[in-house]
Formats: sequence, structure tokens, C-alpha cells
Amino acid sequence: MATSKAPSADPKSSSDLPAEQTQQQKQQTLEEDDEFEDFPVDDWQADDTEATQNQQPQHLWEESWDDDDTTDDFSNQLKEELKKVEASKNKR
Amino acid sequence: MSLAVQFLTKIRGFALEADGASLKDWLQVENDVPDIYYNLAQEIRSSYPGNGSDALEKFVDRCLPEEDDVQEGKGSPWPGFNSFVKDYLEYWRDVNFDDVVNVYTRLSELLISCANALANPTYGVMLLQTSMALSESLSKLVMSLTRQPEVLALIEGDETGDGESKSIVEMAADIIQKFFTSCLGDRSSTRWAPPKGKKVAVYLFANLTLKLLFACEKSHLAVQMFTNLSTTGPALALYPASQRVTFLYYLGRFNFDNAHYFRAHMCLEEAYRQCHSSFLKHRRQILTYWIPSNILCGRFPSMNLLYRPEAAGFAEIFLPICSAVRSGNFVAFHAALNRHRDWLWERGLYLVFLYRLKPLLWRSLTRKTFLLRASMDAGGGMGEGGNKAASLSFTDVVTTATYVQKLLEGYIPNPAQVGGVAGFGKGVGGGSTLVPPPSGPKYLMPSEGLIFGNRKPDVDSVESVVAGLVYGGLLQGFIARQQGKFAVEGAKKYGGNAVRAGWPGVFEALGQRFRESWEEGLEAADRGEGEVVGEFGECPGWVRDSS
Repeated sequence: MATSKAPSADPKSSSDLPAEQTQQQKQQTLEEDDEFEDFPVDDWQADDTEATQNQQPQHLWEESWDDDDTTDDFSNQLKEELKKVEASKNKR
Repeated sequence: MSLAVQFLTKIRGFALEADGASLKDWLQVENDVPDIYYNLAQEIRSSYPGNGSDALEKFVDRCLPEEDDVQEGKGSPWPGFNSFVKDYLEYWRDVNFDDVVNVYTRLSELLISCANALANPTYGVMLLQTSMALSESLSKLVMSLTRQPEVLALIEGDETGDGESKSIVEMAADIIQKFFTSCLGDRSSTRWAPPKGKKVAVYLFANLTLKLLFACEKSHLAVQMFTNLSTTGPALALYPASQRVTFLYYLGRFNFDNAHYFRAHMCLEEAYRQCHSSFLKHRRQILTYWIPSNILCGRFPSMNLLYRPEAAGFAEIFLPICSAVRSGNFVAFHAALNRHRDWLWERGLYLVFLYRLKPLLWRSLTRKTFLLRASMDAGGGMGEGGNKAASLSFTDVVTTATYVQKLLEGYIPNPAQVGGVAGFGKGVGGGSTLVPPPSGPKYLMPSEGLIFGNRKPDVDSVESVVAGLVYGGLLQGFIARQQGKFAVEGAKKYGGNAVRAGWPGVFEALGQRFRESWEEGLEAADRGEGEVVGEFGECPGWVRDSS
């Protein structure tokens, strides 16, 4: 997506902020508020966004998450149940 | 010279110069203004006390005569402008800042008048900045009211003609949407050229409207706005970053609310990518819906993402849900949802997860059952090799599903079968490793059970679930009814790996389903049925470049 012209202000990047202020900002992010607040500035450069900061695609999502482990607790319980129910049927 | 005459002389000067910025600066409506506005209000109250006569209207018309010969780049008052200025003076005459209901009513009326004036194709644009400022004031007032339910209750309940009650937030959204429509219809610039005239404010008014519609949980009313944008709207890329990110955030949430999770993901991904890195709170708001969109599309957030500062605390909420989906463990799933029920509920995520993730849990449970059976059968390892076609027995699924259902109902391990004294408890647990709790099985709500409340899973219900998964593309194969099995297809393609063939990756499978549904839409449109379908991956309402 193209960037817009004439940024009206350039917010400081987080790396420029003193530690205390960064901490305060972090605290603020933890406050829960459903409202998507107005941005304090109208425009900014694409350089200050994820779109250009991380030229290399970041590993953000796990697509292959299937669980092949059949030795965990839950699997063991299911396996035990399959065996018991099967044994019970065979005895009938 | 009276204050009112001085005021209108100034306003006339700005109108003649088509000076929108000064008009906005002078046409203030909030209470934190210099005393002179209160003095003006007092003067109007004395000179033009009531609504009964047209004296104020005549006074305004005398002070703001229409110009006959207007040069290029200059302006003139027009009837709609004078009417708005008269309403503005009445606003100050009648407003009572101690009575929030009064402020809301007066400001709403003034905005409608302003929208009418803005609609003038020749000079209306000079009121654009004023329109933005007034709309923002109304939006601010209404949003503050949403946080005061007791005050809101005083104003609510205005019955419309069809007997439906419209909330004040919805009514404010309606008013602001008028400005949006007026700006969208401006012909000063084309869709793909840098916006001029009233077009510059299209997304600003769209965002204000969306903010209010989401605040009153009426996001479905935004459909017309998105349709209009798709048809004639200017490209989003031509607008400032703050407007782009805000618009994509709301469009993403709109699609999320309408169960278009792939589209929601596309919008929210772009909103996140274009958001300035220092705006952690905004990025967190985007993530709040972007992560669930991806989970519902079959992709889980990586630790890389969850470790980011804007995602603080999200791992605790989302990872247990993902883990339960991964293992097909319904008990852990309900526990994970209930642990953060309030947080999820307030954001409209609880019920979506509860119902929409169930097929993914069933997929994992059937997959696990298949793996367990394969590991139990000698030589059957992972469904590979052997001459026997890979299949999943419904009876096995009934066994595992019944076990999980019993856990949900509060069953406990059969004491007679714990510690290797197998068989001792026969007749108590009916061959199961579980027995009912002393107080009896827990009553389950319909959504809490595997099938429906306390209904026990049986071959028919399992077959029905499996058929649903096959239809949704989450299982690859067919149902052999007579054998009571699901037979995996295409294992050869995966080197004999029946699990890989029968249970394709969820994101891949759902993505395929998304493409198929687009193709179906395309075919329907070709037959003249349904709506026109754009390119694959297009999202209605998001106007990209013309290319």
C-alpha cells in the first residue's frame, strides 16, 4: 500500500523513549479498553511501521500444529478407555 | 454594534473568502470557549427569545446577504448556510451544558443543519472543517454517554415510526453518515486521484460512523456504507495513515462479526502492518481480533508474536485454547474459555470460539482416535503400509467421545480400575475407566456437551459430525456407512501417510474452502444470480488501487 504524503507529525519511535516512559507506556497497554482511540497524529512514514521495519517475513503464525504425540496424559486416558471398552465387548 | 452583528460580520467575511479553517475556529460548540460566546448567547436570548417568530432568520439573512458576482476561489453565503448559522445562534441561545440530554439534542439538530449546508455543491466545502469538528464533538459526547448508562437510560427509548427503538449512539451514527454520503458524492476528484474538496473527509466520517456503530453493537448497519465505498469510494491508500489503520481495524472487526475470518485477517493484518510501531495500545486492539481471526482460520499465534509488548498477557488467554484445539481435548477447551470468560465475552469472542472452534476440536479428536487405534493395532503404525485401507471406526470415535463427554459431566476414574485391579469394577462403570460422580452426572448446557448437552455420543451422531468435517474439507475421504467407518482417501499421494492425507492442515483446508466459496460466488454471478464478485482475496469496502 502506498504511503500518504506530508506527514503532519512524526511520533517518536519507542526506542527513543526513556526507560521510565517506555515502562509507563507498557503499563498503559495493559489497561483494558474496548475503544479504538483516535491517533494522536494524522500521518506517519511507512518506515516507522511493521510493513517496512521487518523486511523479512516474521514468523507470526503456526500453521502446522497437529499433535502426533500419543503418550501424553489425555492420549493415555483415551487409549486406556479404548482398551477397556474393547475388552468389555469381547467378554460379552 | 451588537455582538451578534460583529459575529456575523466576521462569519460573512470568512464565507466570502471561502475560509473553512476560520469558520471552524469561530463556530465553536463546546463549553470550554471564551466568555464572549456566553455573552453572545445572552444577547440572542434577550433579542430573539423564542422559536415562535422568524425574526432571527431575517436578522441572519440581513447580515449574510448572498453575493451575485463571486470570483474564482471566493465564496458567498447561501440559503443553507444562513439556515445553519441561524441554527447555530439558536444552539447557543438554548444550550444548557449542565443538562447532557439538552446538549445532545441541540448538537444533533445543529449537525443535521450543518449536513444540509455542506451538501451545497458550489460552496458547501467551506463547511467541511466545521462539519468534522462538530461531528467529532457529537461523537465525543455520545461516546462519553455510553460510559454512563444511567444518563443514557434517560435519553434512550425514543420510538421511531416502526416501533423500533433507536439508541442515541445509532442516531448519532445516522447523522454523521449523512456527512459521509455528502463527501463520497463529491466530484472534485476521481477515485484514484489524490482527494480534493469534500472527498478528503470520506474516511474520516466513515471512521466516526464506524466507531459509533461498534459502540452501540450495530455494526451490521455499516453494510450500506461499505457497499457504497466498494462502488464509488476513493482508494484507501490516498489517505493519511491514521485514517487507513482505523478504517481497516473496523472493517476487520466487521468481517469478524460476520464470520468472514479470512477477510478479517486480511484487513487486520494490513492495519497492524501500517500502524506506527510506537502505538502499542492500537496494535494491541488490532491483535485482539487479528489473533482470534487466525485461530478460527486454523493458524495459531507464534511465541514470536505473543512475546511482543502489545501482546502482553495474550499468551495466557490464547495458548490454552490453542493447546486444547490441538489435542481435541474438550474438557481443557471449556476450562480455557471459562478461565477468561469475562475478557472474551466483553470482546465478543467467547461464543464465537465456543461454537466455531468445535469442528476443529472434533477434527483433532478423530485424528487422535485414528492415531491411537493405529498404535494399538500391531503392525498398523500411523496407518502406513499393510494392505488394509486406512479407516477410522465410528465405534472407536464413540468410545473416545463418550469418555470425553463423561469427563465433561463430572465422571471420575473408576476406583476399582485404578492401580491395576482391572475387572473388579465391572458392572459399575460398564467397561469404562470412569464412573459417575456421587452426586450424579453434571447437567450440561447444549453448548457444553459434545453433541448437545447431556446427549450421549452414538454412531449416528458421530457419523453426522464426521460428515460435517468432510463437507467442510477438514477430513479427506468418504463415509462407508455399512462398515461404520470413515475411509481415508489419497494416502498414496503422501507416501502412504494416511494421517496426513485424511486430516489435511486446517489453515490449508479452510483456505481451500474460502477459495471454493469465492468460485461458487463467481459462477453464481455469471449465471446472473447473487452479487457481483470481485477478484479473489478482495474485501468488500476496502478500495485498493485501480490496478
